[in-house]
Amino acid sequence: MSIETAFPSADRPRRLSARTIGAALLLALAAFAILGPWLIEADPARQDLGASLAPIGGAYLLGADHYGRSLLARLAHGARLSFGMAFLTMMTAALPGIFFGLVAAWRGGWIERMFELLANIVLALPGLMLVLLLLAFAPGNFGPLYLGLALTLWVEFYRVTRATTATILKQPHIEAAKLLGFGPGYILRNHVVPVIAPLIATLAAFAMATAIIAISTLSAISVGLQPPTPELGSMIVELLPYYAEAPVHVLLPAVLIFLLVLALQLVAQRETR
Amino acid sequence: MRRFLLARLVQAGVVAVVVGTLCFVLMRVLPGDAAMRIAAGRYGPDAMIAGAAEKVRQELGLDQPWPVQFLEWLANLVRFDLGHSLVTGAPVIEELKVQLGASLWLAAAALLLSLLIGPAIGIVSGLRPNGWADRLGLAGSVTLRALPPFMLGLILMLVFAIWLGWLPPAGFGSWRELALPSLTLALGLAAVSSRVTREAIATVAKAPYFAFARHKGLPEAAVVRRHGLRNAAIPVVSYLGLQAIYLVEGVVVVESILAYPGIGHALVHAIVERDIPMVQGTALAMGLIFVAVTAGVDAASAWLDPRLRRA
Amino acid sequence: MNAPTRIHDLSIADLSVHSRAGPIVRDVSLSLQPGRPLTLLGESGSGKSLVAQAVMGTLPPELTASGAIRLDGADLIASTPDERRKRWGRAISLLPQEPWLALDPTMRIGPQVAEVHRFVRRQAAQRSETLAHENLRDVGLDHASALYPFQMSGGMCQRAAIAIAHAGGSGLLIVDEPTKGLDADLRDSVVARLIEEVDAGRLLLTITHDIGVARALGGTVGIMLEGRLVDHGPAEQVLMAPSHPYSQALLSADPRSWVRSAPVPSGDVMLAGRGLAKAFGDHTLFEDVDVEVRAGEIVSIVGPSGCGKTTLGNILLGLVEPDAGTVERRKDISLLRFQKLYQDPPAAFPPHQAIRKGLRDLVKLHRRRWDEVETLLARFQLQNALLDRLPGQISGGELQRFAILRALLLDPVFLFADEATSRLDPVSQKEVVDVLLEVARDTGLGVLLVTHDRALAEKISTRTVMLARRDT
Repeated sequence: MSIETAFPSADRPRRLSARTIGAALLLALAAFAILGPWLIEADPARQDLGASLAPIGGAYLLGADHYGRSLLARLAHGARLSFGMAFLTMMTAALPGIFFGLVAAWRGGWIERMFELLANIVLALPGLMLVLLLLAFAPGNFGPLYLGLALTLWVEFYRVTRATTATILKQPHIEAAKLLGFGPGYILRNHVVPVIAPLIATLAAFAMATAIIAISTLSAISVGLQPPTPELGSMIVELLPYYAEAPVHVLLPAVLIFLLVLALQLVAQRETR
Repeated sequence: MRRFLLARLVQAGVVAVVVGTLCFVLMRVLPGDAAMRIAAGRYGPDAMIAGAAEKVRQELGLDQPWPVQFLEWLANLVRFDLGHSLVTGAPVIEELKVQLGASLWLAAAALLLSLLIGPAIGIVSGLRPNGWADRLGLAGSVTLRALPPFMLGLILMLVFAIWLGWLPPAGFGSWRELALPSLTLALGLAAVSSRVTREAIATVAKAPYFAFARHKGLPEAAVVRRHGLRNAAIPVVSYLGLQAIYLVEGVVVVESILAYPGIGHALVHAIVERDIPMVQGTALAMGLIFVAVTAGVDAASAWLDPRLRRA
Repeated sequence: MNAPTRIHDLSIADLSVHSRAGPIVRDVSLSLQPGRPLTLLGESGSGKSLVAQAVMGTLPPELTASGAIRLDGADLIASTPDERRKRWGRAISLLPQEPWLALDPTMRIGPQVAEVHRFVRRQAAQRSETLAHENLRDVGLDHASALYPFQMSGGMCQRAAIAIAHAGGSGLLIVDEPTKGLDADLRDSVVARLIEEVDAGRLLLTITHDIGVARALGGTVGIMLEGRLVDHGPAEQVLMAPSHPYSQALLSADPRSWVRSAPVPSGDVMLAGRGLAKAFGDHTLFEDVDVEVRAGEIVSIVGPSGCGKTTLGNILLGLVEPDAGTVERRKDISLLRFQKLYQDPPAAFPPHQAIRKGLRDLVKLHRRRWDEVETLLARFQLQNALLDRLPGQISGGELQRFAILRALLLDPVFLFADEATSRLDPVSQKEVVDVLLEVARDTGLGVLLVTHDRALAEKISTRTVMLARRDT
């Protein structure tokens, strides 16, 4: 089984290689998402009804969909959309999340209690529900989707940063550093960041995977981004009725989503103990 | 134990406030006449006569300051006075009663199925770490986790309903309609719980208390039964608390994609149709299901682990 | 108490333990008879635990034993895994390291004892419970049978493990590091309990790194180093007049055999606390305590754990606010010249930072010169190569000397040494203490030493403050 060799388990050197595979895959997909729309000149929205469901390898490299739109162009733009939006959402969630976490751990007191309350309010509902409720304001729009995802994702960054930083700050070496005259900036740079950075990197990859899943899912159930936007999830649903004539066409966006999420999850894998 | 229940009660309150607030704002920011919409939501489409709307405007106190209106809105919500659907005109609570049954069946079936699949694979994997079963389990888990539930649902539908023709692709009624959506969710849940079980078993097998049970002279069966099972079950059950999120989100998605007439399906439809009373009712119901599942997991964890009963 | 199954003799002849890389225990011969406990003393990695595992039959699968271990004639090494397992609980019991980890966290203590009667000795359920209750009563835990391990203290867990050994009725008790993780003041009661086991007719094999335990148990003592038994004989002889150079070094590092050498104060009072009091919640740690540290002297605070001695030190340093009383510090001296040493040396250094980087940054921060570091390195016999390692890759003794070095870069006038040597092996402890004494003498540094070890305090401190544990 090829999958078995691709994702071997627990022992150290192999897990590292699973991460490397993830990184390589991610790099390739990122290149496709960034360079693809730029290199491929075809317009993802241009219809050519004569080429409806054109086969792979013909005039269209990866075929065309039911409206005769270039699938390659649509996939590249779809990848850019998913990737770009996931990255943007992750950054929007991570920066305040990390900052609030550091502040809460450092200052404690009412600031920490306020952030905890805020986090608990967000966590009271499953994240997708919150996104759905915000989407009710403007179904099919980018704004509420982005806002809703960032609003649910910051909590994880906040909680991990706060908990880890609080644990670090309680350790004797922090007290020792203060007694030796080192200031907060030095302690943050040299004692806190080295410990939380790898955790944050993992969270960032998971957050992007979550965002990609959420964006494609919501579009597939027609509350997220709407056609004709080349969104991977809605492409699957649009092409689904034609799966008998063109099964690979349906599969292509699905495989792209799968690989994106897989790559991010492999990269996020960390050696457990 | 009491502390957990209290925390969940507070959480239920937060769910009501969050859902209620968003819907209150929603009702007022949508373009068009809020009074007409609210009147319809309150009393059904029969009240939708232009003259009646003015009466309603006064009766509901829409001329009052919005904090008063807001509190009244929340008060109705807490009394489960959820109003009427803007689309069908039926009372929201009546629609929910029907859909709730369908969704609860789905959630329960998915949870049960995942508990049959996940821990079983986890035990087989954990008994021989890095053996072929473990590797296969890991590969399956990694693959499933990279598949969004809507894709998994579509794949299962293609395979079992269209190619094999064993199961109906959509609908509700007998176990046959329940099979596809619940299997979709169960596989997603099992992808994680199998690995948690595997780790739990590996941890217990290495634990000093497990070794000591052997050194006491107990026969192997007694060691596993008395000191292995409960300790290994603790992380598996407490992880279900996190998986409740996946379950509730999955119910919404899978119901929508497989046209299963539950609350999640209704929620998505209500959003597309801007049927705010239905959005509020369904979101509230899903939120409360989430709280109930989490509370159930809390109770099970406390029953398994005496350290949690301290408080 | 169940009368133990009588075992008359355990003899170990030419025991070696091999790994794939070669022998890690070589030619150990020992014997153990009733009434005379056997104690194996050595540092971690000396192979003493492997000897115990070979007797128990729990060596890791990648290790093989050769030689002979005879328990009343039966050869343990030659026996099959099944035969070995049949002896567990019945003939041989193991008292585990850190028993609070070895008890099932999710089961009450009563059933954990009763199951031995039920499943090992095949008693009826009712009778098992009664017998278990008797076992618990024998170790003074008659009230504890409904408690879970997390509700019990370390000492109680230790006794529960002994009750479990009694329940099986085995005649040989193997005890692995009985004082690990326990307060020093509990050591005596653990040892007393073990002596009772000997008096009840059990064979007792104890593995420890604690010279105090070996001394208190008496009987026969073996000292192990690098897989060999380097010294072996009656306790009085081995511990008083060791023959092997390693044993001599080990025993001379024990504070009890040091010559008293307390420094003489060489100047004014650097720091004083007057009428100090502190409570945590309802629990009063101490009230109305006066401490004074003058230049060049070592003042010790001695007391059992939980008596608040570390808190007292932290109050003097200004890290904790006292509930009452005042701390007087010379106003003209920078706060940076009041420093602290920590109990767990690796925890006092950032785990991700090489030692060199930390020292460089410190030198830069306070505008010192790197030569000063070099000089101190030579003086404390710290090799330059250690500078590029992470704290986790350096031994505790070396790290603690680095901690002193680090503090000295700030020209300290006061150093609070919080159990600074209690996690070190005796030889490293001696080295660190010698450095401290030297620095106090040469620079007039005033040291406040917090320790549970009275012998240590007695030998090196100018004055000693005793704190008692107060039970509310």
